[in-house]
Amino acid sequence: MDIRALVLVSKAVEDAADPMPLSALAPALLEVAGRTAVQRMVERLQEFGIHSTTVIADSDFLIATDGNQQGTTCQTTPRERFWRAAENAFSDLAQEGAELVLLVHLGGYAEINLEKFVQFHLDQHARVTQVSVQGEPLQIFCISASRRNDAASLFRSQLTRCRSECPTFEHNGYFNPLREARDLRQLTIDILTLKTETKPSGIEVRPGVWMERRAVIEKGARVLAPAFIGAFARVRTHAVITRCSSVEHHAEIDCGSVVENSTVLPYCSIGAGLDVAHSVIGAGVLANLRRNVTVEIADRKLIGFVVAGRGQRFLSAAFELAAYLPKQMWRGVFGPSQPQQRDLRTALHNTSPSLGGAAGYQASACDTDAAEKFPSTLAVARRYGDH
Amino acid sequence: METISRPVVVKRMPERLNARAAREFLRDVQPFLVTDRPQLVFDLSQVKQLDAAGVEMLLRCMSEAHKRDGDLKLASLSPQAAVVLELTRTERLFEIYDTSADAVRSFSGFLPNAMRQQLLHRQQPPAPLAA
Repeated sequence: MDIRALVLVSKAVEDAADPMPLSALAPALLEVAGRTAVQRMVERLQEFGIHSTTVIADSDFLIATDGNQQGTTCQTTPRERFWRAAENAFSDLAQEGAELVLLVHLGGYAEINLEKFVQFHLDQHARVTQVSVQGEPLQIFCISASRRNDAASLFRSQLTRCRSECPTFEHNGYFNPLREARDLRQLTIDILTLKTETKPSGIEVRPGVWMERRAVIEKGARVLAPAFIGAFARVRTHAVITRCSSVEHHAEIDCGSVVENSTVLPYCSIGAGLDVAHSVIGAGVLANLRRNVTVEIADRKLIGFVVAGRGQRFLSAAFELAAYLPKQMWRGVFGPSQPQQRDLRTALHNTSPSLGGAAGYQASACDTDAAEKFPSTLAVARRYGDH
Repeated sequence: METISRPVVVKRMPERLNARAAREFLRDVQPFLVTDRPQLVFDLSQVKQLDAAGVEMLLRCMSEAHKRDGDLKLASLSPQAAVVLELTRTERLFEIYDTSADAVRSFSGFLPNAMRQQLLHRQQPPAPLAA
Protein backbone atom coordinates (compact mmCIF):
# COMPACT_ATOMS: atom_id res chain seq x y z
CA MET A 1 0.00 0.00 0.00
CA ASP A 2 1.34 3.44 -0.95
CA ILE A 3 1.27 5.57 2.18
CA ARG A 4 2.78 9.05 2.17
CA ALA A 5 3.03 11.73 4.79
CA LEU A 6 2.39 15.44 4.88
CA VAL A 7 3.87 17.27 7.87
CA LEU A 8 2.74 20.84 8.53
CA VAL A 9 4.61 23.24 10.81
CA SER A 10 3.11 26.61 11.61
CA LYS A 11 3.44 29.02 14.45
CA ALA A 12 0.08 29.33 16.18
CA VAL A 13 -1.61 32.75 16.11
CA GLU A 14 -1.48 33.04 19.90
CA ASP A 15 2.26 32.24 19.81
CA ALA A 16 2.83 34.95 17.22
CA ALA A 17 1.12 37.45 19.51
CA ASP A 18 3.32 36.42 22.47
CA PRO A 19 5.17 39.60 23.50
CA MET A 20 8.28 37.72 24.56
CA PRO A 21 8.72 34.50 22.58
CA LEU A 22 11.75 32.33 23.25
CA SER A 23 12.49 32.16 19.55
CA ALA A 24 11.10 33.42 16.27
CA LEU A 25 10.58 29.80 15.26
CA ALA A 26 7.65 27.52 16.01
CA PRO A 27 8.40 25.21 18.97
CA ALA A 28 8.40 22.23 16.60
CA LEU A 29 11.38 23.80 14.79
CA LEU A 30 13.45 24.24 17.95
CA GLU A 31 16.14 21.65 18.62
CA VAL A 32 15.59 19.49 21.65
CA ALA A 33 18.52 17.21 22.49
CA GLY A 34 19.94 17.71 19.02
CA ARG A 35 16.92 17.43 16.75
CA THR A 36 13.65 19.26 16.17
CA ALA A 37 10.25 17.70 16.68
CA VAL A 38 9.85 17.77 12.89
CA GLN A 39 13.04 15.79 12.33
CA ARG A 40 12.02 13.29 14.99
CA MET A 41 8.59 12.89 13.40
CA VAL A 42 10.10 12.35 9.93
CA GLU A 43 12.45 9.72 11.38
CA ARG A 44 9.52 8.01 13.05
CA LEU A 45 7.60 7.95 9.78
CA GLN A 46 10.63 6.38 8.10
CA GLU A 47 10.87 3.75 10.83
CA PHE A 48 7.30 2.76 9.99
CA GLY A 49 8.19 2.46 6.30
CA ILE A 50 6.88 5.82 5.06
CA HIS A 51 9.75 7.08 2.93
CA SER A 52 8.03 9.89 1.07
CA THR A 53 7.30 12.86 3.29
CA THR A 54 6.50 16.45 2.42
CA VAL A 55 7.16 19.09 5.08
CA ILE A 56 5.53 22.51 4.79
CA ALA A 57 6.59 25.27 7.18
CA ASP A 58 5.33 28.84 7.43
CA SER A 59 8.66 30.32 8.45
CA ASP A 60 11.76 30.98 6.40
CA PHE A 61 13.69 28.45 8.40
CA LEU A 62 15.26 25.78 6.20
CA ILE A 63 14.56 22.43 7.74
CA ALA A 64 17.80 20.50 7.80
CA THR A 65 17.61 17.13 6.15
CA ASP A 66 20.55 14.83 6.62
CA GLY A 67 21.38 11.61 4.85
CA ASN A 68 18.88 9.61 6.91
CA GLN A 69 16.03 11.81 5.77
CA GLN A 70 16.15 11.09 2.06
CA GLY A 71 12.81 11.28 0.34
CA THR A 72 11.79 14.27 2.42
CA THR A 73 10.71 17.36 0.53
CA CYS A 74 10.71 20.67 2.42
CA GLN A 75 8.76 23.77 1.42
CA THR A 76 8.47 27.12 3.11
CA THR A 77 5.51 29.32 2.41
CA PRO A 78 4.20 32.66 3.66
CA ARG A 79 1.74 32.45 6.55
CA GLU A 80 -1.23 33.69 4.49
CA ARG A 81 -0.72 30.99 1.82
CA PHE A 82 0.05 28.19 4.27
CA TRP A 83 -3.24 26.25 4.07
CA ARG A 84 -3.49 26.65 0.29
CA ALA A 85 0.04 25.23 -0.04
CA ALA A 86 -0.91 22.31 2.20
CA GLU A 87 -3.98 21.57 0.06
CA ASN A 88 -1.89 21.67 -3.12
CA ALA A 89 0.71 19.36 -1.60
CA PHE A 90 -2.04 16.87 -0.70
CA SER A 91 -3.34 16.95 -4.29
CA ASP A 92 0.19 16.35 -5.61
CA LEU A 93 0.62 13.33 -3.34
CA ALA A 94 -2.72 11.91 -4.48
CA GLN A 95 -1.78 12.42 -8.13
CA GLU A 96 1.54 10.67 -7.61
CA GLY A 97 -0.37 7.55 -6.61
CA ALA A 98 -0.64 7.70 -2.83
CA GLU A 99 -3.50 5.64 -1.41
CA LEU A 100 -3.34 6.99 2.10
CA VAL A 101 -1.91 10.28 3.34
CA LEU A 102 -0.87 10.75 6.94
CA LEU A 103 -1.36 14.40 7.81
CA VAL A 104 0.55 15.64 10.87
CA HIS A 105 0.29 19.23 12.08
CA LEU A 106 3.05 20.05 14.61
CA GLY A 107 1.92 21.36 17.12
CA GLY A 108 2.79 18.91 19.71
CA TYR A 109 5.05 15.90 19.55
CA ALA A 110 3.30 12.52 19.68
CA GLU A 111 4.80 9.06 19.35
CA ILE A 112 1.93 7.33 17.62
CA ASN A 113 1.97 3.68 16.64
CA LEU A 114 1.42 4.41 12.97
CA GLU A 115 0.89 0.75 12.06
CA LYS A 116 -2.06 0.47 14.46
CA PHE A 117 -3.36 3.87 13.36
CA VAL A 118 -3.44 2.93 9.67
CA GLN A 119 -4.98 -0.46 10.49
CA PHE A 120 -7.68 1.30 12.56
CA HIS A 121 -8.43 3.63 9.63
CA LEU A 122 -8.77 0.71 7.23
CA ASP A 123 -10.93 -1.31 9.65
CA GLN A 124 -13.31 1.65 10.09
CA HIS A 125 -13.66 2.08 6.28
CA ALA A 126 -13.43 5.81 7.04
CA ARG A 127 -12.49 8.62 4.69
CA VAL A 128 -10.71 10.55 7.42
CA THR A 129 -9.53 9.30 10.84
CA GLN A 130 -8.26 11.59 13.59
CA VAL A 131 -5.97 10.87 16.56
CA SER A 132 -7.01 11.88 20.06
CA VAL A 133 -5.29 11.85 23.45
CA GLN A 134 -7.57 11.32 26.46
CA GLY A 135 -10.53 12.45 24.38
CA GLU A 136 -8.73 15.62 23.22
CA PRO A 137 -8.39 15.62 19.39
CA LEU A 138 -4.89 16.10 17.93
CA GLN A 139 -4.26 17.52 14.49
CA ILE A 140 -3.05 14.19 13.17
CA PHE A 141 -5.15 12.53 10.47
CA CYS A 142 -5.14 9.55 8.17
CA ILE A 143 -6.90 10.51 4.92
CA SER A 144 -7.86 8.27 2.04
CA ALA A 145 -6.16 10.02 -0.87
CA SER A 146 -9.09 9.49 -3.24
CA ARG A 147 -11.34 11.59 -0.98
CA ARG A 148 -10.11 14.96 -2.15
CA ASN A 149 -13.24 16.86 -1.22
CA ASP A 150 -13.01 15.70 2.38
CA ALA A 151 -9.35 16.70 2.45
CA ALA A 152 -10.11 20.09 0.87
CA SER A 153 -12.81 20.80 3.46
CA LEU A 154 -10.38 19.85 6.21
CA PHE A 155 -7.65 22.17 4.93
CA ARG A 156 -10.05 25.05 4.33
CA SER A 157 -11.27 24.86 7.92
CA GLN A 158 -7.62 24.77 9.12
CA LEU A 159 -8.06 21.19 10.34
CA THR A 160 -10.94 22.07 12.66
CA ARG A 161 -13.89 20.56 10.76
CA CYS A 162 -14.35 17.35 8.84
CA ARG A 163 -16.97 17.06 6.08
CA SER A 164 -17.84 13.45 6.76
CA GLU A 165 -17.96 11.31 9.90
CA CYS A 166 -14.48 11.14 11.39
CA PRO A 167 -13.70 8.26 13.76
CA THR A 168 -11.03 8.92 16.39
CA PHE A 169 -8.06 6.74 17.20
CA GLU A 170 -7.13 6.95 20.89
CA HIS A 171 -3.39 7.39 21.38
CA ASN A 172 -2.01 6.01 24.65
CA GLY A 173 1.70 6.62 24.09
CA TYR A 174 3.93 9.63 24.62
CA PHE A 175 2.55 13.08 23.86
CA ASN A 176 3.89 16.57 24.53
CA PRO A 177 1.81 19.59 23.41
CA LEU A 178 4.94 21.80 22.89
CA ARG A 179 2.94 24.95 23.59
CA GLU A 180 5.29 26.82 25.91
CA ALA A 181 8.77 26.80 27.41
CA ARG A 182 7.69 24.35 30.12
CA ASP A 183 6.68 21.78 27.46
CA LEU A 184 9.98 22.23 25.65
CA ARG A 185 11.83 21.61 28.90
CA GLN A 186 9.67 18.58 29.68
CA LEU A 187 10.44 17.09 26.26
CA THR A 188 14.17 17.53 26.93
CA ILE A 189 13.86 15.77 30.28
CA ASP A 190 11.79 12.95 28.78
CA ILE A 191 14.26 12.41 25.95
CA LEU A 192 17.30 12.46 28.25
CA THR A 193 15.70 10.11 30.77
CA LEU A 194 14.69 7.82 27.88
CA LYS A 195 10.96 8.06 28.57
CA THR A 196 10.43 8.59 24.86
CA GLU A 197 11.18 6.17 22.05
CA THR A 198 13.29 8.81 20.34
CA LYS A 199 16.79 9.29 21.73
CA PRO A 200 19.19 12.23 21.99
CA SER A 201 21.30 12.64 18.90
CA GLY A 202 25.07 12.24 18.98
CA ILE A 203 27.19 9.70 20.81
CA GLU A 204 26.72 8.61 24.40
CA VAL A 205 30.24 9.39 25.62
CA ARG A 206 29.47 8.36 29.22
CA PRO A 207 26.32 6.74 30.60
CA GLY A 208 23.66 9.43 30.26
CA VAL A 209 25.91 12.04 28.62
CA TRP A 210 25.37 12.61 24.91
CA MET A 211 27.65 14.72 22.76
CA GLU A 212 27.41 15.68 19.14
CA ARG A 213 30.32 16.23 16.75
CA ARG A 214 32.73 19.11 17.39
CA ALA A 215 31.28 19.85 20.84
CA VAL A 216 34.00 21.11 23.18
CA ILE A 217 34.12 20.53 26.92
CA GLU A 218 37.13 22.37 28.29
CA LYS A 219 39.38 21.01 31.00
CA GLY A 220 37.90 21.60 34.46
CA ALA A 221 34.30 21.72 33.22
CA ARG A 222 31.91 19.12 34.59
CA VAL A 223 29.03 17.50 32.76
CA LEU A 224 26.86 15.36 35.02
CA ALA A 225 24.45 12.79 33.56
CA PRO A 226 21.89 12.98 32.16
CA ALA A 227 22.95 15.82 29.88
CA PHE A 228 23.29 16.71 26.23
CA ILE A 229 25.91 18.89 24.50
CA GLY A 230 25.07 19.79 20.91
CA ALA A 231 27.28 20.15 17.84
CA PHE A 232 29.85 22.98 17.99
CA ALA A 233 28.71 23.86 21.51
CA ARG A 234 31.39 24.92 23.97
CA VAL A 235 31.42 24.41 27.73
CA ARG A 236 34.25 26.47 29.16
CA THR A 237 36.42 25.69 32.14
CA HIS A 238 34.84 25.26 35.59
CA ALA A 239 31.33 25.35 34.15
CA VAL A 240 28.91 22.73 35.43
CA ILE A 241 26.12 21.17 33.36
CA THR A 242 23.80 19.07 35.47
CA ARG A 243 20.32 17.60 36.05
CA CYS A 244 18.91 16.86 32.60
CA SER A 245 20.35 20.00 31.08
CA SER A 246 20.72 20.39 27.37
CA VAL A 247 23.14 22.75 25.63
CA GLU A 248 22.06 22.86 22.00
CA HIS A 249 24.28 23.35 18.97
CA HIS A 250 26.59 26.38 18.78
CA ALA A 251 25.64 27.43 22.32
CA GLU A 252 28.34 28.56 24.75
CA ILE A 253 28.58 28.31 28.51
CA ASP A 254 31.27 30.58 29.89
CA CYS A 255 33.71 29.89 32.72
CA GLY A 256 32.28 28.94 36.11
CA SER A 257 28.61 29.07 35.12
CA VAL A 258 26.25 26.43 36.45
CA VAL A 259 23.46 25.16 34.20
CA GLU A 260 21.03 23.12 36.24
CA ASN A 261 17.81 21.57 34.95
CA SER A 262 17.81 23.97 32.00
CA THR A 263 17.74 24.06 28.22
CA VAL A 264 20.05 26.42 26.34
CA LEU A 265 18.71 26.92 22.84
CA PRO A 266 21.00 27.05 19.76
CA TYR A 267 23.39 30.00 19.32
CA CYS A 268 22.79 31.30 22.87
CA SER A 269 25.71 32.18 25.10
CA ILE A 270 25.69 32.34 28.88
CA GLY A 271 28.13 34.69 30.59
CA ALA A 272 30.77 33.81 33.15
CA GLY A 273 29.90 32.75 36.67
CA LEU A 274 26.13 32.70 36.29
CA ASP A 275 23.62 30.37 37.91
CA VAL A 276 21.01 29.18 35.43
CA ALA A 277 18.45 26.89 37.03
CA HIS A 278 15.00 25.59 36.01
CA SER A 279 15.03 27.74 32.88
CA VAL A 280 14.91 27.77 29.12
CA ILE A 281 17.32 30.25 27.56
CA GLY A 282 16.40 31.71 24.20
CA ALA A 283 17.53 34.65 22.13
CA GLY A 284 18.13 37.24 24.88
CA VAL A 285 15.20 35.79 26.79
CA LEU A 286 15.12 33.64 29.91
CA ALA A 287 12.00 31.68 30.82
CA ASN A 288 12.23 30.75 34.49
CA LEU A 289 9.92 27.80 35.08
CA ARG A 290 10.01 27.89 38.87
CA ARG A 291 8.85 31.52 38.99
CA ASN A 292 6.73 31.06 35.87
CA VAL A 293 8.07 34.24 34.30
CA THR A 294 9.77 35.13 31.02
CA VAL A 295 12.37 37.88 31.32
CA GLU A 296 14.12 39.80 28.59
CA ILE A 297 17.84 40.07 29.33
CA ALA A 298 19.22 42.99 27.38
CA ASP A 299 22.71 42.71 28.85
CA ARG A 300 24.79 40.62 26.46
CA LYS A 301 27.33 39.96 29.23
CA LEU A 302 24.72 37.80 30.91
CA ILE A 303 22.89 36.16 28.03
CA GLY A 304 24.00 36.81 24.48
CA PHE A 305 24.18 35.35 21.01
CA VAL A 306 26.85 33.38 19.25
CA VAL A 307 27.56 34.67 15.74
CA ALA A 308 25.68 32.41 13.34
CA GLY A 309 27.63 32.71 10.07
CA ARG A 310 30.73 30.57 9.60
CA GLY A 311 32.74 33.44 8.07
CA GLN A 312 31.77 35.87 10.80
CA ARG A 313 32.65 33.30 13.43
CA PHE A 314 36.06 32.74 11.85
CA LEU A 315 36.76 36.47 11.67
CA SER A 316 35.70 37.12 15.27
CA ALA A 317 37.81 34.13 16.47
CA ALA A 318 40.81 35.43 14.49
CA PHE A 319 40.33 38.92 15.94
CA GLU A 320 40.11 37.52 19.48
CA LEU A 321 43.28 35.52 18.93
CA ALA A 322 45.13 38.55 17.53
CA ALA A 323 43.94 40.77 20.38
CA TYR A 324 44.66 38.23 23.12
CA LEU A 325 48.41 38.68 23.52
CA PRO A 326 48.47 42.53 23.50
CA LYS A 327 45.52 42.53 25.93
CA GLN A 328 47.31 40.20 28.34
CA MET A 329 50.50 42.27 28.14
CA TRP A 330 48.54 45.45 28.81
CA ARG A 331 46.78 43.83 31.77
CA GLY A 332 50.06 42.47 33.10
CA VAL A 333 51.75 45.87 33.04
CA PHE A 334 48.93 48.27 33.89
CA GLY A 335 46.02 46.20 35.20
CA PRO A 336 45.26 45.59 38.87
CA SER A 337 46.45 42.28 40.23
CA GLN A 338 43.61 39.81 40.68
CA PRO A 339 43.85 36.94 43.13
CA GLN A 340 43.45 33.55 41.47
CA GLN A 341 40.46 31.49 42.50
CA ARG A 342 41.69 28.45 44.26
CA ASP A 343 39.04 25.88 43.59
CA LEU A 344 35.60 25.26 42.19
CA ARG A 345 33.93 25.73 45.59
CA THR A 346 35.37 29.21 45.94
CA ALA A 347 34.36 30.06 42.40
CA LEU A 348 30.80 28.95 42.99
CA HIS A 349 30.48 31.01 46.17
CA ASN A 350 31.58 34.23 44.52
CA THR A 351 29.32 36.54 42.58
CA SER A 352 29.45 36.50 38.80
CA PRO A 353 32.58 37.93 37.14
CA SER A 354 30.14 39.40 34.61
CA LEU A 355 29.39 42.03 37.23
CA GLY A 356 32.71 43.77 36.67
CA GLY A 357 34.22 45.78 39.51
CA ALA A 358 31.72 44.72 42.12
CA ALA A 359 32.30 41.03 41.43
CA GLY A 360 34.96 40.84 44.11
CA TYR A 361 32.49 41.85 46.78
CA GLN A 362 32.34 39.25 49.56
CA ALA A 363 29.57 39.24 52.11
CA SER A 364 30.19 37.60 55.42
CA ALA A 365 27.72 34.85 54.54
CA CYS A 366 29.93 33.84 51.63
CA ASP A 367 33.27 34.09 53.37
CA THR A 368 34.68 30.69 52.53
CA ASP A 369 38.12 31.63 53.88
CA ALA A 370 36.67 31.97 57.36
CA ALA A 371 35.00 28.59 57.02
CA GLU A 372 38.26 26.93 56.00
CA LYS A 373 40.00 28.02 59.22
CA PHE A 374 37.90 25.52 61.16
CA PRO A 375 38.10 21.74 60.82
CA SER A 376 35.23 20.21 58.87
CA THR A 377 34.30 18.04 61.87
CA LEU A 378 33.54 21.06 64.02
CA ALA A 379 29.81 21.46 64.55
CA VAL A 380 28.68 25.08 64.41
CA ALA A 381 25.44 25.30 66.32
CA ARG A 382 24.69 28.98 65.81
CA ARG A 383 26.97 30.52 63.30
CA TYR A 384 25.46 33.94 62.86
CA GLY A 385 23.77 34.39 66.23
CA ASP A 386 24.46 36.91 68.99
CA HIS A 387 28.02 37.10 70.23
CA MET B 1 20.47 56.27 78.37
CA GLU B 2 18.82 58.10 75.50
CA THR B 3 18.72 56.45 72.10
CA ILE B 4 17.63 58.31 68.98
CA SER B 5 16.15 56.03 66.32
CA ARG B 6 17.77 56.73 62.95
CA PRO B 7 15.63 57.21 59.84
CA VAL B 8 15.20 54.45 57.28
CA VAL B 9 15.34 55.70 53.71
CA VAL B 10 13.07 53.87 51.27
CA LYS B 11 13.91 54.41 47.61
CA ARG B 12 11.93 53.10 44.66
CA MET B 13 14.09 51.89 41.82
CA PRO B 14 13.38 52.83 38.18
CA GLU B 15 11.77 50.51 35.64
CA ARG B 16 14.94 50.00 33.61
CA LEU B 17 18.20 49.73 35.45
CA ASN B 18 20.93 49.78 32.84
CA ALA B 19 24.39 51.38 33.14
CA ARG B 20 23.11 54.94 32.68
CA ALA B 21 20.09 54.60 34.98
CA ALA B 22 22.29 52.91 37.58
CA ARG B 23 24.72 55.85 37.54
CA GLU B 24 21.87 58.33 37.99
CA PHE B 25 20.33 56.27 40.75
CA LEU B 26 23.66 55.99 42.54
CA ARG B 27 24.04 59.77 42.33
CA ASP B 28 20.58 60.12 43.92
CA VAL B 29 21.26 57.82 46.85
CA GLN B 30 24.88 58.92 47.43
CA PRO B 31 23.92 61.55 50.10
CA PHE B 32 22.11 58.87 52.11
CA LEU B 33 24.98 56.41 51.77
CA VAL B 34 27.60 58.75 53.20
CA THR B 35 25.69 59.39 56.45
CA ASP B 36 26.62 57.64 59.67
CA ARG B 37 25.14 54.11 59.83
CA PRO B 38 22.84 54.50 56.80
CA GLN B 39 19.67 52.41 56.75
CA LEU B 40 18.33 51.96 53.26
CA VAL B 41 15.54 49.98 51.65
CA PHE B 42 15.36 49.70 47.86
CA ASP B 43 11.92 48.92 46.49
CA LEU B 44 12.30 46.88 43.29
CA SER B 45 8.61 46.40 42.54
CA GLN B 46 8.74 48.47 39.34
CA VAL B 47 11.95 47.03 37.93
CA LYS B 48 11.29 45.46 34.54
CA GLN B 49 14.84 45.28 33.28
CA LEU B 50 17.95 44.84 35.36
CA ASP B 51 21.38 44.27 33.90
CA ALA B 52 24.87 43.63 35.24
CA ALA B 53 25.50 47.35 35.80
CA GLY B 54 22.35 47.55 37.94
CA VAL B 55 23.39 44.58 40.05
CA GLU B 56 26.88 46.03 40.36
CA MET B 57 25.37 49.29 41.61
CA LEU B 58 23.31 47.42 44.22
CA LEU B 59 26.45 45.67 45.45
CA ARG B 60 28.33 48.96 45.56
CA CYS B 61 25.55 50.56 47.63
CA MET B 62 25.56 47.64 50.03
CA SER B 63 29.32 47.77 50.30
CA GLU B 64 29.20 51.52 51.05
CA ALA B 65 26.46 51.03 53.65
CA HIS B 66 28.42 48.22 55.35
CA LYS B 67 31.56 50.38 55.45
CA ARG B 68 29.64 52.91 57.55
CA ASP B 69 28.12 50.24 59.76
CA GLY B 70 24.74 50.54 58.07
CA ASP B 71 22.73 48.17 55.91
CA LEU B 72 20.86 47.99 52.63
CA LYS B 73 17.80 45.77 52.27
CA LEU B 74 15.72 44.97 49.22
CA ALA B 75 11.95 44.78 49.11
CA SER B 76 9.07 43.90 46.77
CA LEU B 77 11.24 42.27 44.13
CA SER B 78 9.57 42.08 40.74
CA PRO B 79 9.89 38.64 39.08
CA GLN B 80 12.31 40.13 36.55
CA ALA B 81 14.61 41.51 39.25
CA ALA B 82 14.40 38.29 41.23
CA VAL B 83 15.42 36.22 38.19
CA VAL B 84 18.45 38.44 37.44
CA LEU B 85 19.61 38.46 41.07
CA GLU B 86 19.30 34.68 41.14
CA LEU B 87 21.14 34.40 37.82
CA THR B 88 24.06 36.48 39.08
CA ARG B 89 24.18 34.69 42.46
CA THR B 90 23.65 37.94 44.33
CA GLU B 91 20.24 37.25 45.89
CA ARG B 92 21.98 35.47 48.77
CA LEU B 93 23.97 38.60 49.65
CA PHE B 94 20.95 40.77 50.36
CA GLU B 95 18.22 40.65 52.95
CA ILE B 96 15.05 40.54 50.85
CA TYR B 97 11.55 41.31 52.14
CA ASP B 98 8.10 40.98 50.59
CA THR B 99 7.17 44.61 51.25
CA SER B 100 9.00 47.84 51.99
CA ALA B 101 7.13 48.08 55.31
CA ASP B 102 8.54 44.69 56.37
CA ALA B 103 12.03 45.81 55.38
CA VAL B 104 11.71 49.07 57.35
CA ARG B 105 10.38 47.19 60.37
CA SER B 106 13.32 44.79 60.22
CA PHE B 107 15.74 47.62 61.02
CA SER B 108 14.23 47.94 64.49
CA GLY B 109 14.81 44.22 65.06
CA PHE B 110 18.08 44.79 66.89
CA LEU B 111 16.66 47.27 69.40
CA PRO B 112 16.41 46.11 73.00
CA ASN B 113 13.01 44.68 73.85
CA ALA B 114 12.07 47.56 76.13
CA MET B 115 12.70 50.10 73.37
CA ARG B 116 10.80 48.03 70.82
CA GLN B 117 7.77 48.03 73.14
CA GLN B 118 8.02 51.82 73.51
CA LEU B 119 8.15 52.23 69.74
CA LEU B 120 5.15 49.96 69.25
CA HIS B 121 3.15 51.92 71.83
CA ARG B 122 4.07 55.13 70.07
CA GLN B 123 2.97 53.75 66.66
CA GLN B 124 -0.33 52.19 67.79
CA PRO B 125 -3.30 54.59 68.32
CA PRO B 126 -4.96 54.34 71.75
CA ALA B 127 -7.71 51.72 71.92
CA PRO B 128 -11.25 53.21 71.91
CA LEU B 129 -12.95 53.18 75.25
CA ALA B 130 -15.83 50.79 75.73
CA ALA B 131 -19.21 52.46 75.90
